[in-house]
Formats: sequence, structure tokens, C-alpha cells
Amino acid sequence: MKSILRFSVGAMLAAALAAAPLSGASAKDTVKIAFIGPLSGGTASIGVGGRNSAELAVRIRNADPKSKYHYELFAQDDECKPNVGVQVATKAAADRKVIGGVTHYCSAVAMSTVDVYHKFNLPVIVWGAVLPDITYGNDYKEVHRVNGTMVNQNEVAADFMTKHGYKTWVILHDTTDYGKGHNTYFSKYVTEKGGKVLATFGVTSDQQDFTAELTKAKELKPDVIYFGGLTPLGIRIRQQMDKLGIDAQFEGVSGIVSDAFIEGLDPKLAEGVLAFREGAPVEKLPGGQYFLGEYDKAKFDQGPDAYGAFAFAAATMMMDAIEKVGPDRKKVTAYLADIKDRDSIVGPITFDDHGQNTVAMITKYVIQDGKWVLWEDSEYAAGKRKLVAPK
Amino acid sequence: MLDRISPFAVAVLAALVGVVFAIVFMEQESDVAVISMVAAAAVAAWFAGRIGVPERVARAAEINPGGVSAIAAIGGLAIIAAYAEDHFPLLMLATVMLYATVALGLNIQFGYAGLVNFAGAAFFGIGAYTSAKLVGSGVPAVLSLPLGGLFAALIGLLLVFPVVRTRGHYAAVVTIAFSVLFKTFLEVNDTFGGPQGLPVGAMNLFGWDFGESPTLFGIEASFYLNYALAAFVILALAFTLVRRLERSWLGLALDAVRLDETGAACYGIGIRRAKIFAFVLGNVIIGVAGALYGCMQGYVAPTSFTFSDSLIFVAIVLLGGMGSPWGMILAAAIVVVLPEKLQAIQEYRFLLFSIVVIAILLFRPSGLLPRRVRRYFPEGGR
Amino acid sequence: MDLFGQYVINGLMLGTIYALVAVGFTLFFGVLDVIKFSHGDVLMVGAFTGFTAAAGAAALGLSHPALQLAATVVFALAGTALLGAVIAKWLILPLKNAPRLNILLATLMLGTALRESVRLFYPDGSNPKAFPALLPTSAWQFGQFTLRVDSTILVVTGILVIVGLHLLINRTRLGLAIRAVAQDEETARTMGINYTLIVLVTFALGSGIAAVAGVMDGLYYNEINFGMGLLLGLIGFSAAIIGGLGNLYGAILGGFLFAALQMIGAVALPFASAYKDVFAFAVVIALMAWKPTGLIPERASDRV
Repeated sequence: MKSILRFSVGAMLAAALAAAPLSGASAKDTVKIAFIGPLSGGTASIGVGGRNSAELAVRIRNADPKSKYHYELFAQDDECKPNVGVQVATKAAADRKVIGGVTHYCSAVAMSTVDVYHKFNLPVIVWGAVLPDITYGNDYKEVHRVNGTMVNQNEVAADFMTKHGYKTWVILHDTTDYGKGHNTYFSKYVTEKGGKVLATFGVTSDQQDFTAELTKAKELKPDVIYFGGLTPLGIRIRQQMDKLGIDAQFEGVSGIVSDAFIEGLDPKLAEGVLAFREGAPVEKLPGGQYFLGEYDKAKFDQGPDAYGAFAFAAATMMMDAIEKVGPDRKKVTAYLADIKDRDSIVGPITFDDHGQNTVAMITKYVIQDGKWVLWEDSEYAAGKRKLVAPK
Repeated sequence: MLDRISPFAVAVLAALVGVVFAIVFMEQESDVAVISMVAAAAVAAWFAGRIGVPERVARAAEINPGGVSAIAAIGGLAIIAAYAEDHFPLLMLATVMLYATVALGLNIQFGYAGLVNFAGAAFFGIGAYTSAKLVGSGVPAVLSLPLGGLFAALIGLLLVFPVVRTRGHYAAVVTIAFSVLFKTFLEVNDTFGGPQGLPVGAMNLFGWDFGESPTLFGIEASFYLNYALAAFVILALAFTLVRRLERSWLGLALDAVRLDETGAACYGIGIRRAKIFAFVLGNVIIGVAGALYGCMQGYVAPTSFTFSDSLIFVAIVLLGGMGSPWGMILAAAIVVVLPEKLQAIQEYRFLLFSIVVIAILLFRPSGLLPRRVRRYFPEGGR
Repeated sequence: MDLFGQYVINGLMLGTIYALVAVGFTLFFGVLDVIKFSHGDVLMVGAFTGFTAAAGAAALGLSHPALQLAATVVFALAGTALLGAVIAKWLILPLKNAPRLNILLATLMLGTALRESVRLFYPDGSNPKAFPALLPTSAWQFGQFTLRVDSTILVVTGILVIVGLHLLINRTRLGLAIRAVAQDEETARTMGINYTLIVLVTFALGSGIAAVAGVMDGLYYNEINFGMGLLLGLIGFSAAIIGGLGNLYGAILGGFLFAALQMIGAVALPFASAYKDVFAFAVVIALMAWKPTGLIPERASDRV
């Protein structure tokens, strides 16, 4: 009995193996690059934007006759869930054709998968997750990140706000790692710089109603309402602040820097909202304009969203590495370790010994006439318009 | 036409076809191949049903229960062996087996005792968090699995009172509330790692490090082979336990409680005791599976154990056919592997998955492999 | 004290929405003894239909907010009522004799399918939408206490809808038929009541009320998104259960109670507000232990 089973199993395996290598008939060798991000669920628009951008990078490279390999994007959905993340990361890492990865927007997922990448020696570049521990919580050579961490972002934010005379804050943050992290670092820096946090409210990421928290906030009369979290909640909170007649400056984090934030709000309410994001302003750099132009031409069904540019930069860098040292995971990892002052569409990139991009510029944004405008270019900085004044 | 072949031979043949199908299916990457294989399987299953294969297999199981279980075990091991070197298929296989174990635990609760539990993922999570906390603090892994089960049962005791007192939809809301509460609690509470979750160390069983790749017959196998085998053992134990339970007087009492509480009480069955027993036993099984799952994933976080994950477990039980242990395994395989195989259609796959589940519920309301009516006399006529 | 008033108004608003959702659960349970878990997502579809209708009306040149509001409500109601009837006809009635859990799961899956469809197929559906403010937005200020005209209109409307439903169920022939079907299907049939029709009408009615809740939600928060129905459905279901299934007053009581719990959890408890859902659901569990068939139990005894 057993022998029959074994025999048929073996036979099927042999047939399957024989069928496998028939595909690679083109002149160039095919190299796969994994993209992992949330393609379904609440943060899908950022994930799909990231995937499209990485896909764009691959298409542009494949159209280049000088490239040595034919690239293929192996896109996987992590659903923003750590267990699914481990699953798809294992899938990508176990595939020998996959040489590098452009991975993760959700920090919890990235935290859970770094061990997998290390175990399988797969070099990855994180394109969106901002938790510091992803690069600094371990010594894995395989893990890199092009975007800055939330530490840099909040330091700049606290500095900026206190310099503009704001003194008191009420903090609302979602209870995901993202929101909680922002709360921790912002509270720390703003207190160091002499600001005062009057109250902190944690809210779940699917909450609709914030009137209870905001009514309490109203009672405390803060100068600023700080929100650490993503776009959908940001919209609701800004909206409900108005309902309750709260007269305070609204300050957000990188998670609300998306077109969806403005579209989801009345232009009157969006006006004057402040937010901070890691990375140089894409629109300002020549590479960034090229990226946005190409993205438009590619006719994807949605925009690149807030982190598309990072995914594009990460995918491009990964392919550069493979062009240089060939499709070998260990060599690519070694190559990435030496990246210094590399030009990219999100500004120059230098990886430190933890693989973290240290030239993490922070860009300050304010919404003006229904657009995210760089603070320095805005009429607010010029003094023509005014933010909500500190009390 | 099957009359001339002995039921046992039919069972062997069916197992063989199943194993070969599973191995080939796991290998497929392209959408066309996946979809056509699913279609072929559906047609084959329909045809097998027409010519009476399920009845034969069931009969073989009645005549020779040990033999049929052995075939199934060999089949399972053969699939694992075929992929001994491949990490990803082994991870999937181990996941299927652990999910099936969870479904078996839930099956005791609502397949037998009629207790609805919408917090399966929460108890699964308790097991996983237990191993995360224990393995980190130096407790031997051998203990972390049973302790996972123990903690799941203990925390479940908090719910026993409302669960036993309520019925039907009212009981559903208790477990739903617990499910939501559990995830939110983990997120806001920092001692359990908060929203970021906790890393889990690799298991170490009597010096056998699960994080290392074992070498068998000169081949270096994937380290997931350790977990796949451990998951297989746990599934086999849970399966045997559930089968034994079903055939015992306890199982009979549980059935009676589910079908007619008043009637059961009239015959002197302790309704509360039966329900508490089923609830606790189910949670123990779920917790043990969770503890191993935590080690295998190497990481636990609240978002892995949400209400929607509980729904996936409920879906497995209903798709498999309430009360049918074999059905649990089949349904777990479908529910875990199919969405993964559908990665190619990425953002559309949840939509497709939900439609498939609705279709199965509409056209096979009692599940893919419905539970059979108890038969006390296996030699009875046809 | 004026802040207390603010909390009460916020709670009333929230409670009205919850009660409207819970009423739907109770209606369905009444006639068919089923839980239709896609209810929250039907609400979301109602809100999106209303949103589209408002945008459509604006595009057709109907610039007056009242006209847009009328279009929003009419389309949302009609679309969702139709959807409710279709779900009843093709999904729930065929499963009537299957184990009860099957309906629960099938409708849960339907909810997922609706949610995912809106996300995937509605233009830019994965992003939140700004629901237009169609009601007057002026506000009365009493010290710290802001009472907005639109919120007041919404609360009053919600209460009127509930009262209207109560009258419909208790004072009309249709209501009589619904109650008859709820009590005993077979007897109702022999009395010449068109069973299927009544079931479909009840589902259309309950879903229409969900649409009202969805549009109210949109008008109140001025923001809708594809995931809005998930938690609302869960809370509405819990509210219906705490109140006691099959009982209109129970659903209303449950809705307001749940809103009150969340308010208390967010502001009045000594520990962090993040625990408010933990608190609210823990109270639900405790309530179920105390009153296993809800605060206002169904009158029924075991049929042996």
C-alpha cells in the first residue's frame, strides 16, 4: 500500500518538476522582486498605490534595453495582519527566483516578518512602515528602510509647533502600533520643548464617533488637537471637531498626508490642517516629477497615494543592486549595506548600520485651497493666512 | 459498479486520489491551473458522490476504523513528506492542520453541545500569547503547549456563566462581545506587547530545536517540517479524542442536550455540566493549537486574532458540516489554501471567497461532508 | 453642567442611530427567527446610494439642499429596501430550514461581499467620502454647550421614524400581518396571509430603516466609508440582544444603553479611554449573565 502511494507521489512530483523550468525561454533571465503590502482592507488604498508604483518601477526597468535581467513583480497581500504577513513573506522568501523584497506598510506586519527575511537571507527594503524597531530592534543585515521613522517626524513636528507659539495639546491616537508610537514620541519631544499635553485619548481604528473624547477635549481648551493615525479617522475627527465647535489647530501625522484626506472633508475644514511626513517633497525633486508623470501615463485605476514614491524608490534601488551584483541574495545584501548618498526620487538615501535611511528629511505640509502645500511655499508661512492662533 | 470492490479498497483509492490531488494542487501557481483543478475536483466529487464513494468509505470506517484512520494518517504524512524541503507548502500544511484542530475544538462546542462560540480566534490567541510569554521566559516548550490550552480554558471560564445561561443568538452575542473585547484589550494593554505584538522564540522539545532544519536521509529538510509534524500529532490527538468522545455516552449526552434540552433534562442529563464540559474541552483544544501556532509564526499580534478570524473558524465548521470531524479537515484545507492560491487576483479574493462560502451554504446547507446519523449496528443492512 | 448637556446630546444622537439599526435586527428576528448579519453593510450601501443620489442631483442642477436631501432619502430608502427584499428572497428564505447558524454565516459573508464590492467597484471606493451637509449647519451656543440645528433635526427624525414604525406595527393591517407571521407561521398562512410577501415586506422595511440610519450617519458625521457598517452592525446586534430580541422597545432601550456605555467608558471612567469598548462589551457580557434573554425578554415557553 505504502509503496503505491510513494510511487505515485514521486511520479507526480517528477512531472511537476519537469514542467517547471520550461517557462524561462526569453533571452534575459527573469528575476523576481517581491512586493508585500496591504491590498485589501482598510488601508488598501495605500497598499495598492504602493504596488502600482513598484510595478511602474519594474515596467520602466524592463523597457530599458540596457538592463541585464527581465524583472517580474511578485506582489502579495499581507492584509495588514501579522499572521498573513508571515505567510506571504515565507512564500516570497522560499521562492528562489525572488532576489529582493519591497515590503510592508503596516508596522506590526513588518515587525513579525523581519525574522523570516533574516532566516532566508532575503534582502528587503521597507517602503512605508514607520516603527523604529523594524530596523533598530534587531541586527539583521537584510532589513533596510527608505522612509524615515516616526521618531524623526515627531521631533520636527514638536519643534515646529512650539516655535509657532503653541503651548497646550490634546492628543488623540489610534490604538494600533502606528498611532501609539506617534503618541509616545510626540509626547516625549513636545514635553522636552516646553509644551504641555493636557489629555491623551486612545481610540480604536474602526471607531466612528469621537464626540465623547472631543467634548472632553473642548473642556480642556487646548491650543492644538494632535491626531496620530491614518486618514479615515483623521477625517472623522476633524469633522467632529467642527460639529462640537472646537476652536483649535488640527495637527496630523504622515498617515493623513493623502489626497483622500482632503477629498473626504469639506474644503473649509481641511484648510489650515498641518501634517508632517518623512522624505523630501516628491513634487519638488526632478525625479519626483518624473515619477508622477510616468504614473499618470501608466493609467492605474488609483493614485500612488502617500507612500507610492517610497515604494518606487525602494523597487528601483533593489533592481539597481541586482544589476550591479547579479541575482544573488547575499551579494545584494552586501551591496545595499554600502549605499551612501544615493540619489532617489525621495531625496538622497544613506543606510546606517541598521539599514535605516539616515538622510530622512521631514517635510512640513499645510492644506491650502484643497491641496497639500509645502509649508515653506504656503501663504501661511508668508503670513498672508493664519493658522488657528494659540490661546 | 462499485459493488464488486471491497469498501476498504474504495477507501484506499479515494485516499490515494486525494493525496495526489493535494500534492499537485499545492504546486500550482497560475490562475488557470488553480481554477481548472478546483473545477475538476468539484466535478470529481460530484461524480464520486453519484457512484456512492462516500457511503463505501463510511462503511469501511465502520468495519475497520483503525485501518481507515491509518490510511488517512499515511496520506497526511505522504503530503508532508512530498514537501519536506519546501518551506512555504509546509507552513501552509501546518496552518491547515492547526486550523482543523481549532475547528475540531469548536465542533465539540457547537457541533455536539450546541454552544455557539464566536470567539474561537480569541481562545486561539490566548494559546499563542501564552507560548509567546512562556517561551520567552524560559519555560520549556513541552509545557507551553498544554499551558496554552489550560489558559484558554481558564480565561474561558470567565464566560462560562453567561454562556451556559443563554441560548442560541443570545449566546452568540456573549462570545462576539468577548472576541471584540479581547482584541481591543490586547491593543491597549502594554504588558502583552500592545498593538505591535510579541516575538515568540522557536520551540525546543527535549533538545530538538524547532528553528533548525532537520536532516533526514541525507536531505536537509525545511525547519517548518518540525512544525508540520508537531501540528500533525496535535491534529491526530484531537481527532482521536473527538471521535472517541462522539462514540462515548458523553457524546450521546451532548447530542441530546443540543437537540432537546428539556428532553435531555428529563432523562437526567446534567445540562449545565454537559455544556461546561464541552465549552472547556473545546477551549483546551483550541488553546493548544494556538500555542503551537504562536511558536510557528514566531510572532503574535492582536490583529491576528480578531472577530473576523473567529468567523473564519466558524466558516470552517459550517462548511465541513457540523459534527463531522472529517469535514473539518477538508474545510480547513479549502479555507486556508484557496484564498492563498487566489493571491493572483489579490484585492478581489475576499469578494470571491465570500461568494464561494455563500454558494456552498446555499447548495449544501449541511456542509461538504455532513455528519452521519448514529448507527449502533455497523453490520446492519444497506 | 453645560458639558454634561453636550454629552447627553452626543449620546442621544449615537443612541438613535444604534436604535435604528437594532430595530432592524429585531424585526427580522421577529418574523423569521433569523439574524441577518449583513444589516450593517446594508446600512453602508444605503449611505452610499444616498451619497450618489445627492451627487447626481447636484450634477443635474438641483442645487437646493432640500431637493438634494429628498433625492438622497428617496433613493437610499428605495435602493436599500429593494436590496433587503432581494436578500430575503434569494438568500434567507432558501436557507430557512437549514441550521440557524448557516443563515448567520451566509449573511455575514454577504456583508463581506457587499463591503468588498463597494470598495472595489464604487469609484475610488476604498477612500472615505465627504457626505454633503444638506441640513442647516447653524448652531445655538449656550456657554460651552453647542446645539447644532442639524443634529437636533436628526435626533427628532430618528425618534419620529421609531414612533412611526411602532404605529405601523401596532396600528395597521400590515403590522397585524407582520405580528401574525412572527407569532406563528402556519396559523398565519391558514388565515390567508401571504407569508412570503410579508417576509419580503418586513425585510424591505427593516433595510429601509437601516438606510435612514445610514443617511443620518452620513449627515451627522459628514463622512462615509465602506467599512462603516461593520461595527455599527455589531453594535446594533448587541443592542438588539441586550434589549431582548423580537421586541421593539428592547431594541430601542438596548441602542441607547450601548451609546450611554460608550460615553461613560470614554469620559467618566478612571482608566484610559482606549478601554471604552472593552468596558462596553464587558458590560454586555455581564448583562447577558444577569438577564440571559435580554432586558425585555420574549414571552415564550418551551414547546415540548
